[in-house]
Amino acid sequence: MKKFKVGLATSALVLVASTMTVVGPSVVGLAVANAAPSQAPLNLANEQGSLWSCAFNPFIPSSLPYSFGLTYESLDFVNALQSGKVTPWLASAYAWSNGNKTLTFTIRSGVKWSDGQPFSAADVAYTFGLLKKYPALDLNAVWTALSSVTQSGSKIIMNFKAAAVPYFYYVADQVPIVPEHLWSKIANPTTALISNPVGTGGYIMSKCSGQNIQWKSNPLFWQKGMAQIKVVNMPAFLSNNTCNQYLASGQSAWGSQFIPNIQSYYVAKKAGNSYWFPPVANVSLFPNLTVPGLSDPKVRQAISFAINRSLVSKIGEYGYEPPASQTGIVSPTFKSWVSSSLASSLGTGYNLTKAAAILKADGYTKGSDGIYAKGGKKLSFTLTTNGGYSDWIASMQVVSQQLTSFGIKITLQTPAQATFYANLYAGKYQLAYNAEAGGPTPFYEMRQMLFSKNSAPIGTAAASNWERYSSASTDALLNQYATTTSAATQQSIVNQLEAVMVNQAPVIPVLEEVDWFQYNPTTINNFPTAANPYAQPGLYNQPDWGYVLDKLAPKA
Amino acid sequence: MRFIVRRIGFLLIALWAALTLNFFIPRLMPGNPAQAIVANFRGRINPSALHAIEVALGIGGHQNLVAAYFQYLGNTFTGNFGVSTGNYPQTVTHVIGVALPWSLGLLGVTTVLGFVLGTGLGALAAWRRGGVLDNLLPPSFIVISAFPYFWVGLLCAWLFSLTLNWFPSLNGYNATVDSPGFTWTFAVDVLNHSVLPAFTILISSIGGWILTMRNNMITVVAEDYVKMARAKGLTPRRILWQYAGRNALLPNLTGFAMSLGFIISGAILVEDVFNYPGVGFLLLQAVGNEDFPLLQALLLLITVAVLVAIFIADIATALLDPRTRNNR
Repeated sequence: MKKFKVGLATSALVLVASTMTVVGPSVVGLAVANAAPSQAPLNLANEQGSLWSCAFNPFIPSSLPYSFGLTYESLDFVNALQSGKVTPWLASAYAWSNGNKTLTFTIRSGVKWSDGQPFSAADVAYTFGLLKKYPALDLNAVWTALSSVTQSGSKIIMNFKAAAVPYFYYVADQVPIVPEHLWSKIANPTTALISNPVGTGGYIMSKCSGQNIQWKSNPLFWQKGMAQIKVVNMPAFLSNNTCNQYLASGQSAWGSQFIPNIQSYYVAKKAGNSYWFPPVANVSLFPNLTVPGLSDPKVRQAISFAINRSLVSKIGEYGYEPPASQTGIVSPTFKSWVSSSLASSLGTGYNLTKAAAILKADGYTKGSDGIYAKGGKKLSFTLTTNGGYSDWIASMQVVSQQLTSFGIKITLQTPAQATFYANLYAGKYQLAYNAEAGGPTPFYEMRQMLFSKNSAPIGTAAASNWERYSSASTDALLNQYATTTSAATQQSIVNQLEAVMVNQAPVIPVLEEVDWFQYNPTTINNFPTAANPYAQPGLYNQPDWGYVLDKLAPKA
Repeated sequence: MRFIVRRIGFLLIALWAALTLNFFIPRLMPGNPAQAIVANFRGRINPSALHAIEVALGIGGHQNLVAAYFQYLGNTFTGNFGVSTGNYPQTVTHVIGVALPWSLGLLGVTTVLGFVLGTGLGALAAWRRGGVLDNLLPPSFIVISAFPYFWVGLLCAWLFSLTLNWFPSLNGYNATVDSPGFTWTFAVDVLNHSVLPAFTILISSIGGWILTMRNNMITVVAEDYVKMARAKGLTPRRILWQYAGRNALLPNLTGFAMSLGFIISGAILVEDVFNYPGVGFLLLQAVGNEDFPLLQALLLLITVAVLVAIFIADIATALLDPRTRNNR
């Protein structure tokens, strides 16, 4: 027994000693590593819930965020935060002609691919040809609007089937240009991994493992004086909490995280920790317009007036997401588009008296159970929201309480993500809480919400317009917008669309979706801010975050 | 011999049943992988991408389920697991290959260590019943095992990493500084990052081993042959390890084999708390993404691992304990 005790003590000692030796050299190693290079790498905090798969194909949704904007560029950069302001990139100029059916780009000269080969308009023509040949790569469905793309010297001429001014955003900003001399050798681009992407952009992927992607700045980059940060790392995070921990510990100067109690958790931790959440789209209640009760615009208007949006924002989103407006215009990002007469008719958007008056005039009376009913039919609906988003669930719990106490009974359901989307797309719900994708001007979100051809019959999947709204006059307005480049005409059309939103309430915006953005400008200059919103600041906005990375520079 | 043949037959039938369930159950989920991929982007993707993705994944046309089933069985035996739809276009083999070594390493070592330490301590505790070891260890470790794992994990991470700064609490290695390779710095980095996860797994799981071994030992120690050995004058230490311990260990063997089999399913809470790469989160992600190829491959791996482990445990028990052989 004694021998055993000695043995136990010895092995414990050995264990402790070996642990110390494990810790020791690594501490020393870290010290040595910190002494050597002059510029510290920029570490990014971007949680995507999985390890990296190290594929960089810019036409595939799961891999394009890590190459499009950084390594691959598009023809122009369109800024959603400045109502579509255009910055020339690979195209030095563009012009509409032929009744806004032809778009001509002048392609920039003197640009090189990162492997040293010269870039030319042939690469642009090749890229669009690739999208035509492989519809699986055409993520923006540009070929539903295009009829031809031809090269003429250093110009690219795009002909559209009909006037298509809004498509500028998709063909100029959202299509990454790829090198013909490399891609023409790929047998099947739809399954190509592209492990070593070659592009014209400021950053080239230098090494990738499951746990980290590293980029180095491109010495051949055509935008002189940009891409000053030499090394950029993006470690992989499996859950939000560990990524927030990484950000709050000061190891990262740029994050795109949802952080509860951001003041105490992040801002107070280190001097210079800042955040900015620019709103970009609406998160709305989508009423299924085929459901009895919800098919009545008066009921929908009453629902809109019965929601106390600022309370929902405070409780569900820590106040990060501003209340939305029934006009459907996101403020302050697009505040110049708001129709002042409509806005003043809404007031704050929360008016219980007005909601009650609307229902009463429509013939609804409150029953003994406190729920409005007409002709024996009660106003009682189910509300579904994505079970994976705890903040949306919290927001919808507040909304359910508010509407039920007003007199419209709401039962909340929180199915798993896959089930939620399957039912949303197929129209198998009564009220659903979700957001459209949006775009650089309010038109894009309106079109996604209201254009009848985006929708589909109940039972068939529709990628947007889930509420199944259809109106010939609204379709005509949307088509008319596409024919004009006049800012005044565009403004007038959007105002008419706002009137549709206010009078018919086909969609009920509740809060405004924001870009999550935390940054620390102590050692790095030129982050986008509210005063200088030159690009969307989220690490998941393409190609915006590549543009931001190009602009960042270390403080001298 | 007949015993082994019967066991192999049972293994094959169980394997076939598991494969069939693996194929049909995920397909009962509503929606399709393309919708799941678009949903993951939380609206930051053009809605028209849905159609493009459906074309890429080959969804839309009606698939003959029976033909797909036989193709799946064939592919399984050739090891062709296909392309992961959630990590498209990366292959399933690559995706699993990135995460699996970490699960095998961390969980393999901690399972073996836990078993060895647990059974050793349990045997000791039972041998000296009422002693200090017996009164202290089993109750304290049972209490720790009863705490939710993530709470223990978070507490250790907060105490040893964020407050005392002894060990890192995130990641498998410092990926922004080191690269994988057979170097001393990388090995040290990996070990450093594995201390906290391994420690928390050990203290959470060791309680079970201690308790079962202790209880088995108490029964064995009361047997006649132990009394005979003492009467014959054998040293207590020899009786403890060579006679009583070996016999008490047998029931635990199957349990140990099964936990070895389950290493492949990863430890999702460890991966969540410490951001440790592993197969657990991969499985969760595959379910959420309706990533059928990845899901099928992972479930297959787990099923095969557990079935093989049980099979080996059965054979080992038969070899080690003649009593089980004689009943056949």
